Amino acid sequence: MDIKTLSRLQKLNQLNLTETEENELMAFFEKAEKDAEILASVDTENVERMVYVMPMTNIIREDIAKKVFTRDQLQEQAPEAMDGYWQVPRLVE
Amino acid sequence: MKVYITKSEATGKNIVVDDMILTTDMPTTAGSKMLDGYMSLFEAQAVTALKENGYTICGKANTGEFNLDLLGETSHFGPCEENGVLKGAAAQTVKMGDAMAAVTLEVNGSSARAAALAGLVMMKPTYGTVSRFGTIPAACSGETVCVTAADVDTVKEVLTALKGHDDKDGTSLPQEKCVLGQAMPAKKVAVAKSLLTADADTLAKVEAVKAKLIANGVEVVEIEAEQLLLAKSAWNILMSAELCNNVSKYDGVKYGYRTPNYTNIDELYTNSRTEAFGYLTKSTVLFGSETLSEANYFKVYDKAQRIRRVISEYLTAVFAEYDAILAPVCSKTEYTVEETAANKYMAYEESTYTAPSMITGIPVVVTGGVQLMGAPLSDAALLAMAETL
Repeated sequence: MDIKTLSRLQKLNQLNLTETEENELMAFFEKAEKDAEILASVDTENVERMVYVMPMTNIIREDIAKKVFTRDQLQEQAPEAMDGYWQVPRLVE
Repeated sequence: MKVYITKSEATGKNIVVDDMILTTDMPTTAGSKMLDGYMSLFEAQAVTALKENGYTICGKANTGEFNLDLLGETSHFGPCEENGVLKGAAAQTVKMGDAMAAVTLEVNGSSARAAALAGLVMMKPTYGTVSRFGTIPAACSGETVCVTAADVDTVKEVLTALKGHDDKDGTSLPQEKCVLGQAMPAKKVAVAKSLLTADADTLAKVEAVKAKLIANGVEVVEIEAEQLLLAKSAWNILMSAELCNNVSKYDGVKYGYRTPNYTNIDELYTNSRTEAFGYLTKSTVLFGSETLSEANYFKVYDKAQRIRRVISEYLTAVFAEYDAILAPVCSKTEYTVEETAANKYMAYEESTYTAPSMITGIPVVVTGGVQLMGAPLSDAALLAMAETL
């Protein structure tokens, strides 16, 4: 992990760290890389991925409309909303 | 001591739920500035089930941000601590006698640790037997709604009310698998030697439980269980990757915190998330994002999924021979605010003990300050075993 990669990750995830936090995280990444090496040493070539911890079956439900929320309800907690729209800064000049 | 985010005047069969579980009459914050004051339009299935069974919700317990941390130290509202010693808030309400039980979302072991340190009984049931509908998602493939109380009977009673198939949860198991049922007495228990890395006081608790099991006629055998040591790194990878996706929706537009410091949409997104999330959440998101990158996906994320199967198959083999695995829940009997401030990744390190059950979804009962892990759907057997201790 280098500072360039960490900066890219911050941009991708829309998060900023302070310089101190960046240094702390880079130290953590180094430790995590060592842990990942231990995992890498385990032979999993013939092991399937385990996405679900319990056996899952696909469930198909009836296509019946249930209770839905109104636009007003959904916008009640919007930081800024007007005339039924969520407000954000101007995107196109 | 910041125990509650919201305290209700409820009286009766009081249950406290942690702030990862949605309620419609009280805010749900996930311990985060991002959701400070957030009121959900719907409630969690766990809350509905509790109400339908005559329980009342007496408040929302303080949690660490998205329950990722050690014992709630990362809550935006301040940690639940006494003289600098961390107390899990939900467990504390039970300890204080405010609630007969606490219902919490276990993500990275904080509920188990809090119960163990407070001398309470806690059960994390088999994944899929209690609905997660209406819980704030953090690490969906392992997180589980669990119950903490002063005794086994109360845990059993509340768990019986919570368990059941729920169409609204895609990972919910069929109803017949959700029933707690009856259990045969335990005959053979394994002690995981690889996890006996805790301090002397904690190991003494393991020894005390071991002695009681033997006195009850249970054969106790030490096994190496080296495979369980892989769980910590693998769960940290999977949990981080899942958290990264789950919190990507918090951007300051539709609900939640919006920064006042922006001049364009990118600044709105970035500054809202930067100002609202705590350090542990931010670093977990960034770590998760890196594990999912093109360069690391197969090397790290995919590998962790395969390691999950390695651990699961190992446990299947162990549980074919033993009724449970006995191990510590944490490495010490006390954690301070100071320690967690100095080592922000303490929760990652301490998950050595809790990650084996988180990554595989197996049930766990915490009693006498230690844990007993069991095979999937052996919840009733674990509770029966805990009852004899």
